[in-house]
Amino acid sequence: MSDIGKVRLRVPTSIKPGDVVQVRSLVIHPMERIERDAQGKIIQRNYNYINKVIVTYLGKTVATFDTTQSVAENPFFSFTFKATDPGQLKVQFLDTTGGRYEGTVEIKFS
Amino acid sequence: MMAEDHVVTRRTVLRMLGTLGAAAGGLVAGVPGTVRAQALGQNESVQDAMKRLFGGKPIKDGAALIKLDLPLIAENGAVVPVSVNVDSPMTPTSYVKHIYVVADKNRIPVVTRVTLAPEAGRAFMGANIRLGESGDVRAIVEQSDGTLLQVKREVKVTVGGCGG
Repeated sequence: MSDIGKVRLRVPTSIKPGDVVQVRSLVIHPMERIERDAQGKIIQRNYNYINKVIVTYLGKTVATFDTTQSVAENPFFSFTFKATDPGQLKVQFLDTTGGRYEGTVEIKFS
Repeated sequence: MMAEDHVVTRRTVLRMLGTLGAAAGGLVAGVPGTVRAQALGQNESVQDAMKRLFGGKPIKDGAALIKLDLPLIAENGAVVPVSVNVDSPMTPTSYVKHIYVVADKNRIPVVTRVTLAPEAGRAFMGANIRLGESGDVRAIVEQSDGTLLQVKREVKVTVGGCGG
């Protein structure tokens, strides 16, 4: 899967200063589930799934998601932030194999 | 010449630091990373999970403040959209610190823990989760003063999505 780590962020087209903005984010990731053998025993290995999502706006952390394998494949997360100044919104996804995927969007007022 | 020497040393040092950093990063993601992941999501019953997360702290009913959005019937348990909206002023003195989503019937009941800052403006989170079978899904909110509030809703799942 060469698409792993593709991040898509969606923000509303027009943002006014002071608005509370809802952002939708999506990352392409398999989010492997626990596998079991024929006896129903869990196969121990390092499953590759996203366990942390960090949202920063103007360099400050606004929200973090600690996630487990109960989150769906190609996970979608949404969150809000208060748009005070124009600047960068960054969403980082970290997985259990050390993978780090990020998406950024410039917040501009119109 | 002096300057160049200086640059080279600095570069070497930086490179070394970089390697160190990468190694440290690998370590964090590798061994302690799994430990941390297990600390949140474990194969356990929902009672154990609640005990582990919140100890014996009382959890009040938050129906007045929390809005938990879930489908009544999830045809495909592999992708179930959930969103939690909490009525909170989100000021530095009073805000929602954590939102937990717990699926009672999942083998790993704790789905996610969201940590919010007052800058979020609104206590809101949305995600797509997996549900193994029909059962309750709860949203537990921890406010900045430590108060715990909970709402739960039953979801019927036609096709389970939690393989393992």
